[in-house]
Amino acid sequence: MSRLFVKNFSFTLIIIIILSSLELFAAAGFITGKILDSKTNEPLPGANILILGTLYGASADLDGYFFIKHIPPGHYSIRVSMIGYRSFTQKDVFVTNDQETKLLFKLEETAIEFDPIVISAGKVKQRLDQAPVSLSVVSAKDIKRRSATNLIESLETAPGINFIGNQISIRGSSGYTFGAGNKVLLLLDGVPVYASDTGEFNWDMLPPLDIEQIEILKGAGSTLWGASALGGVINIITKSPSPKGKLLFNFITGIYDKPYYKEWEWTDHNQLYYTRQDISYSKQFDRLGLRISAGRFKSTGYTQLGDFTKYNLTGKFEYRFAGDIKWTSYAAYSFIDRGFFVQWKGQNDPYEVDEINLNNYARTNQINLYSKLAIPFSPRFAINIRASLVRTLMGNQFGEGSGFNPAIGQGLEFQADWIPLYGHMLTCGLQYQLDTGSTDFFGEHKGYFLGPYIQDEWKIRENIRVTTGLRYDRYQLINGLKEDMFSPRFGINWQPWNTTSFRASVGSGFRAATIVERFLELSIMNFNIIANPDLEAESSWAFDVGFRQHISKNWNIDISLFDNEYWKMIEAHMDLIRGQVQFRNIYRARIRGIEATTNFSLPIKFWKINSTYNFHASLTAMDHEDLKWHEPLPYRPNILTTLKSSLHFGELQIQADYRYGSEIEAVKIYPINDRVPMKFLDARISYNIWKMSFQVGVNNILQYNYAAMESNLMPMRTFTIAVQGEF
Amino acid sequence: MIKIFSIFFAVLLLFLIIVYCEYDHGIAPLPGSLEATIYFRNEPPEDTQGIYLVVAPKFPPHAINELFHSPNSLPIDKDTVHTSMELPYGHYEAVSLWYYSTRTESNLADILAIPLDPDNNYLPLSFDITPEKPVYKTEMYANWQRVNRDAAIEGTIYFNGPFPENTNITAISAYLYEPEESIEFLLWLKSIDFSINENPYKYRLPVRHGTIRHLAVYWLPDHAALTDFKLLGTYEDPNNPGQSGRLSTAAGETISNIDIYADWSKIKP
Repeated sequence: MSRLFVKNFSFTLIIIIILSSLELFAAAGFITGKILDSKTNEPLPGANILILGTLYGASADLDGYFFIKHIPPGHYSIRVSMIGYRSFTQKDVFVTNDQETKLLFKLEETAIEFDPIVISAGKVKQRLDQAPVSLSVVSAKDIKRRSATNLIESLETAPGINFIGNQISIRGSSGYTFGAGNKVLLLLDGVPVYASDTGEFNWDMLPPLDIEQIEILKGAGSTLWGASALGGVINIITKSPSPKGKLLFNFITGIYDKPYYKEWEWTDHNQLYYTRQDISYSKQFDRLGLRISAGRFKSTGYTQLGDFTKYNLTGKFEYRFAGDIKWTSYAAYSFIDRGFFVQWKGQNDPYEVDEINLNNYARTNQINLYSKLAIPFSPRFAINIRASLVRTLMGNQFGEGSGFNPAIGQGLEFQADWIPLYGHMLTCGLQYQLDTGSTDFFGEHKGYFLGPYIQDEWKIRENIRVTTGLRYDRYQLINGLKEDMFSPRFGINWQPWNTTSFRASVGSGFRAATIVERFLELSIMNFNIIANPDLEAESSWAFDVGFRQHISKNWNIDISLFDNEYWKMIEAHMDLIRGQVQFRNIYRARIRGIEATTNFSLPIKFWKINSTYNFHASLTAMDHEDLKWHEPLPYRPNILTTLKSSLHFGELQIQADYRYGSEIEAVKIYPINDRVPMKFLDARISYNIWKMSFQVGVNNILQYNYAAMESNLMPMRTFTIAVQGEF
Repeated sequence: MIKIFSIFFAVLLLFLIIVYCEYDHGIAPLPGSLEATIYFRNEPPEDTQGIYLVVAPKFPPHAINELFHSPNSLPIDKDTVHTSMELPYGHYEAVSLWYYSTRTESNLADILAIPLDPDNNYLPLSFDITPEKPVYKTEMYANWQRVNRDAAIEGTIYFNGPFPENTNITAISAYLYEPEESIEFLLWLKSIDFSINENPYKYRLPVRHGTIRHLAVYWLPDHAALTDFKLLGTYEDPNNPGQSGRLSTAAGETISNIDIYADWSKIKP
């Protein structure tokens, strides 16, 4: 009976999909248009056009023209956006059968994009203010503004984000677990890119020059993104090839100042510097688009064993077949050779390490590859197929750790986007991920995830969207345990007025322990890491209620209340009596709080010169608790604040950023060490001349000495010089 | 008006941040120090991994990570060692020299030297580091024989039930005298083994030859302080049941069949 039902249902579904697809050949009109800069009337090549409520979109060509065909007759809303310009939506665009609908858009330049197009909230493009979840966006402009040398510097001023060592935490999601097992999922253009054995992120996997924008989804997001999206998702969107040939370069140099305290000087400080060079070229050749980048990042470090050399080579390839079928491939190779500063020699020698650790060097080779095929069958049905490979080889780490072999993660995903009825956007798919890790100590281990998912975004009314989704995942460790996880999701977005949106969501997340967390047995610096093969998956529920208001054209605020509940949270259990570390399912935990951000852009006239003052402020206040022992969670601050301001005075820009994080209440290794709040003030002046930008800056101007994790001091005052060009 | 207010607000905020931070540079060098001269007797055991100077703000400490310790091992091949260790201002209840072996886990009994205060019932010597007196000087006498465990006791521990789920450590400890106060649990400890994990458990406890007046099994739950070890069972004098049995070992000797019965009902549920 049930078999017959499944058969009939499958048959009906296929018929419906085929009929939807046949719209491709049914009556249709087309839209053409041009996109210009409102001030200069210059064309805007690369501007994005999206027909809202459909899966159709396009990019403007070299002369600002675009062309979208096979559009069924009807009324549409067209959204036009471009980085650096205020997005614009034109409603009631009427398309008739076999007729051309001509449009002209003039976009206004803006320093702050208030509601950019994002993809991480629903796995399809949508406006930020229409998402049911809390999201922050770091744009290419923000990255350039800070002269970021890597992804950490790109992300560290985003609301609710803090780093403990190399580990990212979104609204307090992660503590510090020696790099193994991140509670945040890192994606590159929607494809997972963690090391398949440790779960670590390589924050140097691609040069900042390649990044179009970074989307930060806050709270659990496993329904659409799968394993590891326990505390949030970071999705790095890379730049597409430019319609016209574009050469970008970026030279950044930093010189470390003397330590604030004379007794901390450990070497000739004039010798301590870093330098980063990146170059990128991209061009569209008719249907083929190419982008290649190369970068080198070298530093002496500001501590003993802080030196490193890093190389990047990336390439992106896009090809459009007939019928708008798009094939995209991306490859990133990174090589890192660095010293490994584990902990300081003492608080009176914070930039030095013990003599016995002077040989701690690590070398990492990583290759990230993905290939995507997007097939738009009709404005109402499209298929995306993604295949990915991440190969990481870590070596020379802590002597014994040199026995690591290449870790290989392979992924395959099939996603269908379907608009079965007006107002419904159905996203469903199947994701498969195979992770392999092996070392000389624990042999080879493999585990795979297989997860079907489905989500419906239902536009109940023009201004109300309800999202429901469900995912099932099977995690199977080959010759080991298996786990089944269900990840439901519900969200609502209501826009009572054009300037106001409310959102509420409940989402769930999970993360299965990595191979290293389960099986690693190793001795490092008087500590023995003990295996725990029975480690279970950790899971979370995220509750989020938010409000976004445009107070004026140039001023918005966003406030959200969140409550993230964790079960079987995996943490490194330190047995200091026996000198043992073991990853364990330790506790039930809760992190709840409030996050508020505001942005405003204020036009001012100084001596008849048009100027703009931009201001961004964010505050995240959290209460985090281990519900078993009623203690604060380790390595989490209670308050995070960022203030960013800039004054654009013609081609001159003056910028200042201030970051504050309250003192971390609980740590695990040396609770007796001094702990202080985080307070960093950075300032920069930049000047644009012709197609180049020159910038001088000072990071940590006030010489504040801060250790996010015990015995690891952050950099002292650093003078930076950056030259960036675009030809 | 709004424009003027906004600019004024931003400038004021920047000014306040700068003024506030000008007086605050975060973590600073530690202002005080302990200077110790250590005199060694005899030769270090072959399995010596290192020796570390350890200072306890509270004694006995609640956890190992509540101790200040020297970042690396002191030399082990000298008769006399002068060393110093930076410390913040404060009161310290003990200073000691800890021994680490290459063969055994970190051992609470491996205190190679601990200065005692004859004016204070021979409790560990306490001291203060203050702005007026930022440097404290002390002398320590370390006898390598103290950690040279040349004898052993072995037997079987029988538990009257399974280990509780919240078990962190179950240990067998040998004491010079039966400890009564928390401070004596560390001071009179001769040897301890934390590896008990099954019922029954066959143990072999290396000890320094001499007399042991108290041999017992202790249990520590998860998330407990070092001072929270609970007694499960004692090796009893065969001639006086209920009394701690006394054991004497000669150098190189192993005493066998020293069985202990551990009773889980002695710990509160």
